[in-house]
Amino acid sequence: MAATSNTPLLEATGLRQYFQVTRSYTVKAVDNVSFKIYPGETYGLVGESGSGKSTIGRSIIRLYDPTAGKIVFNGADISGKLDRKTRDMLRVNMQMIFQDPMASLNPRKKIGDIIGEGLDIHHTCKNEKERDEAIKRMLVKVGLSPQHATRYPHQFSGGQRQRVGIARALIMNPKLVIADECISALDVSIQAQVVNLMKDIQQETGTAYLFIAHDLSMVKYISDRIGVLHLGHLLETGTTDEIFTHPVHPYTRSLLSAIPEPNPILEKKRTALTYDYKTSGIDYNKGTEHLVSGTHYVSCTDEEFAKWSKEAEVPIL
Amino acid sequence: MAQKEQILKIRDLDISFKTSAGEVHAIRGINLDLMKGETVAIVGESGSGKSVTMKAAMGILADNARVNGGTIEFTYHHADGTKETVDILKKDKKWIRSHINGKRIAMVFQDPMTSLDPTMQIGKQIMEGMIWHYKTPKQEAWDKAVELLREVGIEDPEKRMKEYPHQLSGGMRQRVVIAIALACNPDLLICDEPTTALDVTIQAKILELIRRVQTERGISVIYITHDLGVVAKVADYVNVMYAGKIVEKGTINDIFYDPKHPYTWGLLSAMPDLDTNDDRLYTIPGSPPNLLHEKKGDAFAPRNRYALVIDDKAEPPMFKITDTHYAATWLLDPRAPKVEMPKELRERLTRMQKAAGIGDVESFLKQQDEKGGPEDGSNE
Repeated sequence: MAATSNTPLLEATGLRQYFQVTRSYTVKAVDNVSFKIYPGETYGLVGESGSGKSTIGRSIIRLYDPTAGKIVFNGADISGKLDRKTRDMLRVNMQMIFQDPMASLNPRKKIGDIIGEGLDIHHTCKNEKERDEAIKRMLVKVGLSPQHATRYPHQFSGGQRQRVGIARALIMNPKLVIADECISALDVSIQAQVVNLMKDIQQETGTAYLFIAHDLSMVKYISDRIGVLHLGHLLETGTTDEIFTHPVHPYTRSLLSAIPEPNPILEKKRTALTYDYKTSGIDYNKGTEHLVSGTHYVSCTDEEFAKWSKEAEVPIL
Repeated sequence: MAQKEQILKIRDLDISFKTSAGEVHAIRGINLDLMKGETVAIVGESGSGKSVTMKAAMGILADNARVNGGTIEFTYHHADGTKETVDILKKDKKWIRSHINGKRIAMVFQDPMTSLDPTMQIGKQIMEGMIWHYKTPKQEAWDKAVELLREVGIEDPEKRMKEYPHQLSGGMRQRVVIAIALACNPDLLICDEPTTALDVTIQAKILELIRRVQTERGISVIYITHDLGVVAKVADYVNVMYAGKIVEKGTINDIFYDPKHPYTWGLLSAMPDLDTNDDRLYTIPGSPPNLLHEKKGDAFAPRNRYALVIDDKAEPPMFKITDTHYAATWLLDPRAPKVEMPKELRERLTRMQKAAGIGDVESFLKQQDEKGGPEDGSNE
C-alpha cells in the first residue's frame, strides 16, 4: 500500500489560510504549511481542535480561497483562480467525506440521487440505465444493498449513512479523498467497519486519502505518513513508523504520551507529558525544516533541533 | 480487610420509554454495585442504556420514561455523620432535587459548553449549589469557590471567577464543570463521557484531575464511556452493557486481560492499540439493535459470530467465572462447545500481558482476587 511513485499527487507549498475577523484582527488558521501526498497512499493529519486540520482540507479542495501558497494537484496548479477545465478536473478527482453523516446528507433526497449527483452534474453517464447501474455497483461496494437507492437518509443508521457518504465520494473515481474526521461520530464497533471498508476500497481503486482525525490510534492504523499540526503550523512529518517510534518535537511527544492505551496496569501508572506553547519558549514562526532521517522532518530552529534530538533518544513510555 | 461500605446498589432495574413509535425497552434488568472510594466504568455503544441507568440513579429521567421495577439504593452521610439509605425510585422529584441532585450525587456531562450557563459568571455558577443546598453565606461560598478553582488546576482563580464560559477554552470549561460538581462535597460523582468533546492531550489532564480529586476526597466515581482507553486509565471495575443489559462485569484486569463475552472481544479488538499491525481490524458485524422490537433470546446473537442455537431461544444468565468476574453468554455453559477468542485478540492480549509484566493470567487474576480487588495494586 505504500507509495511507490515519485511524482506527488498533491503538493502544497507554503500554504496559508487567513480569516479576517475585523479590520485589525486576522486569524491565521494555517500558516506556511508544506506537504506532499503521493498516489495511493494515506496521509494522516493530526492535531488538537483549532490546529487547522480541517481548514487545510477545505483549502485544498477549494472550499476556501487560500491566502498564499501554491497547491499543485494532478499536475495542475489549483491555488489561484480556477479556469473551467481545471475546476472540472478538481471537482471530479478530489472528493470529501464529512464528519457528521446526518448533517452531510440532504434529508429530502433519495440515497441513489445523493450518490448519483456527481454523475449528473458532470454528465459522466450516457443514459439513465448506465447511471443507475453505476449507483447500484457503488452501493454494493460500500456494503449496502442496491434496493437502498430508493430510501431516504433518515431510514439508515449512523454507520450506514457514513457508507453513503463514502459511496458519494467514490463514485467519481477520485484520485484523492479528503476524509475529515469521518469516523469520529460513529460507535467504536462501527468505526472499525468503516475503516476496514476504506482500506479495502483503497486497495481496489488506488485512491489516496487525506485522513484528518484526532484519534491517534486510528490514524496510526490507517496512515502511511503523518503530519502533526499545532496552531496552524506543521511541526513534524514523516512515515507513521518514524513519528510513532521516534517523535522529536515536544508537542508530538506530549500528544503521543496522551493516547490512552487499553492496558490497565501500564495505563494507571502513566502520566501524560505536559506541553504548553506559551511557556515553552518555542516560536513556531522561527522554525525551519530539519531532516531527522529518511522522510522525517521537524520544524524548529537549529538550537532547538540539537536539544530535541538528544531528548528524543529517551522513549516516551 | 475491612468490609467496604456500599454507596450504590442497583437491583433488577427495568425501564422503558413511551415513544410515538411504541414502547422502547431501554433497560432490561440491571444489577450494579459501587463501594466507597471506588471507580466503576460502564462501557457500551450509544443506545445501550448506560446514560439512562445513571439518569435513573439521579432521578432525572425524561417524562416519558416508565420504571417497570427494581430498586436503586443509595447510601449517604448526613453532616453529623449518621448514615442513611434511600431508594431513589421511591422518592418524588422534589425530594430528590433538594436532597440528592448536586448535593450527594453530582454529574459531569459530556459537553462543557452546553452544561454551563453562558450568561452567568463562572464564580456564580460554582456558588449557586452551595448557597441553594447549604445556605452558605455569600462570602464563604465565594472563598470556597476560589479554593475549588485552584483545586481543579485553574490559574489565577480570583480573576477567573468573574469570567463567562465563552472566555475559557474547552479544557478549562470542563474543569469548571468539575469544580461545580465538587462544590457540595458529593458522595458520588457520575461522569457521563466527560472527555469525549475534548482533545486527547486535555483528556489526559482531565482524567488525571478526576483521579486526583477522587483519592484526595475519597469519593466514588462512575464513568460512562465508550472509550476503552479511558476505562483502562481510570476504572477499578468495569460493566459492559449491550442493549439494556450488563453482559460482562469484572475487575478492570478481568475484563482487559481475560475477557469472556464475544461482545467484549469485539469492543477490545475494534480499537487498534499502538502495536496493531494487522491489515484488517476485527469488527462486530451489523449495528446495535433497535430496542423497539424486542428479540427473543440473546440480543447480541444476530451480531455474534459465535452464536449458538440456544441464543435465539433463551436469554443467557450471568455465568460466574471468578468471584469478581461474570459474563452473560451461553458459551460459558458447561454444555457449550469450547470457543476460543479471535486469534488477533489472543495475540494482542499476550502482548499486553507481556508489556504489563504478567506471567500467567489465571494465577495473576486469582492473586488479585485474594488481595480483594485491583485498587490495592494500582493506586500508588
